[in-house]
Order: sequence, then C-alpha cells, then structure tokens
Amino acid sequence: MGEAIVITSGKGGVGKTTTTANLGTALALQGKKVCLMDTDIGLRNLDVVLGLENRIIYDLVDVVEGRCKIHQALVKDKRFEDRLYLLPAAQTTDKNAVSPEQMKELVNELKRDYDYVLIDCPAGIEQGYKNAIAGADKAIVVTTPEISAVRDADRIIGLLEQEESIDPPKLIINRIRQHLMAKGEALDINEITTHLSIDLLGIVADDESVITSSNKGEPVVMDPSNRAALGYRNIARRILGESVPLMSMDMPKKGVISKLKSMFAK
Amino acid sequence: MTKKQLISIKGTKEGLVLRLDDQCSYTELLEELAKKVSDEGFEGQAEVLLQLGYRYCNDEQAKEIINCVQQTEHLRVTKIQSDVMTVEECNKRLLENQSETYVGIVRSGQIITAIGDLVVIGDVNPNGRVIAGGNVFVLGRLKGIAHAGANGNKDAVIAASWLEATHLIIDNVIETMTDELTVLSEHPEMECAYLHTNGSIAIDRLQELRLLRPNLSTFKGGS
Repeated sequence: MGEAIVITSGKGGVGKTTTTANLGTALALQGKKVCLMDTDIGLRNLDVVLGLENRIIYDLVDVVEGRCKIHQALVKDKRFEDRLYLLPAAQTTDKNAVSPEQMKELVNELKRDYDYVLIDCPAGIEQGYKNAIAGADKAIVVTTPEISAVRDADRIIGLLEQEESIDPPKLIINRIRQHLMAKGEALDINEITTHLSIDLLGIVADDESVITSSNKGEPVVMDPSNRAALGYRNIARRILGESVPLMSMDMPKKGVISKLKSMFAK
Repeated sequence: MTKKQLISIKGTKEGLVLRLDDQCSYTELLEELAKKVSDEGFEGQAEVLLQLGYRYCNDEQAKEIINCVQQTEHLRVTKIQSDVMTVEECNKRLLENQSETYVGIVRSGQIITAIGDLVVIGDVNPNGRVIAGGNVFVLGRLKGIAHAGANGNKDAVIAASWLEATHLIIDNVIETMTDELTVLSEHPEMECAYLHTNGSIAIDRLQELRLLRPNLSTFKGGS
C-alpha cells in the first residue's frame, strides 16, 4: 500500500506542477513506482511538462464516469520502464465534473499498485483544491520567497491543518534567488519557516533550465549536474526517509578577475 | 394587626432610595407603590435608586415599576438593584468573565472568537483574526487583526509579545496600522493597545498597563 501526497500552494505560478513532475521523476529514478495525478481539470499542464501530451487517450474524468478502466487512462513514461505513470486531467470539462468522494476512491485504488501517488493540486481553495486533497495522506505546500506566495501558503496550511486525515503539511521553498536573499531584498528561508512554522522539506534554487526543460518535456531533475535538480533530488530522498542536510545556496565562487571587475563596476 | 410597610423611603446624598419588599405579591407591591408615589407629595426633582431585594423582575416588570414611580414628574429612576439573577444571566456573566485559550497559530483566513478574554499562545498571522468580548492577549507575534471588547467594552485592551498587527479594533474603533501612525514603534516588543480617552486607539509599553487599566488585575493589595 503506497502513500498519496498532494502538492499544493494556494497561489498559482509558484511551481506546483513543476515540483510534482520533478519529485515524481526523482522518486522513479530512486526505483520507486510512482503515479502522478493531475487534478487541474480544465487547465491541465502536467502532461506537457512531462512530455506526454501526445499519448493521452483517456483522462481522469473518463475513469470517474466509467468510460474506461483506470489502467487504460494511465500514460506510461517510457524513459523509466514501468515506474512512472501519469493520470492526466480532462481538458474539456471543469472541476465540478468530479466529487471529493470519487477522487478518494480513485486515489485509494492507485495506492494499491504504486509506492507513491503524487497529486498535483490546482491553484485556489475551491472545488479543485477540495478534490485534490480528498484522497491524500500527506501534503506538501510549495511557496516562493514572495510575500504574496507566503500569505497564500499560510492560508492553505490553515485549511490543511483542519483535515484530520492528512498529516501536518511540509514546506518546499521554490525558486530561491540567492543574490536577492543575500541582499535582504527577498524573504529569507528562516523568515519564511518561522512565519509558517511547519517543517521544511527542502529548497530549490531558481534556474532557467527549469523553464527550458519543461518546454522540452524533460523534467530538470534528470540532469544531475543542475542546481535545481539537486534540490528536487534531495527532497525526494527526504520523502524516502533519508536525512539529507539542507543544500547550501551560495553562488559559485567568483574568480579574482571577475571580483575586480565587479569592484570597478560600482 | 398593622399592615407591614411594603415600601420604605430613605433619603441619601445621592438621592432617594426606595426599598421594595421582596416577600409580598407583585401586584400588591405595584398598587402600594402607585399609592405611595402619589400620596407622598414630592417636591423638586429627585433621583431614585430602586432596591428590589431578593425579588426577581424580568425586563417588562422592571419597566412597569419604573413607569409607576415616574408617574410623578418629581422622581427619576437612575438605577435598579436586585440581589438575584437567573441562571441564564449568571452563565452569561460567567462566560464573559472567563478567559479562553487557543494554542497554535491563527493563520490567514482563520477567525478565533471568545466571549470573554482570549489568550492566544502562538502567532496570529496576517489576515488571521482574533475577536474577544473582553481582552486579547497574544503570547507570540500579533501580525493579523485583533478585535477586543467586541460587545461594547471600551476598557478592553490588546496586548502582545510582538504587536505588529495590521488592524486593531477596540469596541467599534478601528485603527489601521499604517506607517503614518505616529505611535508605531520600531521595536514593537511587549506592547499593548487601549482606547484612549480622546476616543482613538493608543499604543504603549506593556508595563504601563498596570496604570492604564488598574482593574485588569484580579489581585488586590499584596504582601
């Protein structure tokens, strides 16, 4: 029996879908059997980020409404033999097409066959959010070092804490820009964790390759030399129960010449 | 057998004290009262304190008694005193004087309400709201909205280990904590907010609370 983890944030655009895709991929790389579930019915993205868009035949709503069996709707990611699957959301209907009870049933069925079911939650706190958390055992809240994202994270944590069937949520701080944090122009990691006062699961550096790899349909985590990928890999290892120290966010050391240059640039 | 006096009138510095018998029937009392008020031949304008003793009067009956006394324009009832109250009133009073405790973080969008005092052990985050009929005490950072004296208690205070609320409300006076507010301190540690006599909300050090609201302390004297 696997566990279902919902990845949510409240605010849109902080990287829920990217995080879901990368954590799922990282867990599959670690040898786990993973199913990713897109619950953003009407605005699905997870398939695109994974590069599986063209292979969708049936979707989540088809399963719920009995038009197909669950295994028919699952899209296999061939890069990982049979360890990574996607249950895509429907694009033609809206969030009210499914109910929390149906979602719970669906997640429970998936948990039987997979080690991890990662649920990508839509932005907001309405029906789509309620559907997404219905079957979850654990929750991960994604935020960025922006006040608006932290405010919404606070709201969503409050809502998650009221759900008795879900463990206390854990936090991922995404898109960290070290140079802004060092100058004190962005919220720093300490400020965010004391404000939200929940466990920090990991931090991910802001990196342009996250965007370019998403566009190519290859999650960035597959590139082991990338900074953001390391963040995701560390988080996956922590989910598996390893204790991994928080990665240092320092920028690569500058050489003497570039140091001199930056001195004169002032 | 002489009939027992149902109503005794006493003059004090503050005005007249009418002590009404609490053993006779209500109608008997009302008749006697009407007679007494019209017979006595009051002069001038006197303020009256009504003492009901151990008689329980509901609001309607109290009104009736007041009207009866004020038949003559010489008398004006300022206060009614009774030694008894209903269980319902008593329970309400108890709740109002009770302090409720919330342990945890009041997060964005959450509302914590207490009838009496409210003690929050933890932070109140932005857009979180705490409402109390009495005082609000926050052992932590108050960064959201706090409303004290929600049922019209002007003496209520808001105290916090770290007072950096976005909005403070006492009774029905609201203060938005913007930069223009001169009372805002740079280091808002151990502060309290109260309703100043000039009608606006003021902020002061927590140590001043003893002088500002001496009745807040339930310990009298000391050794």
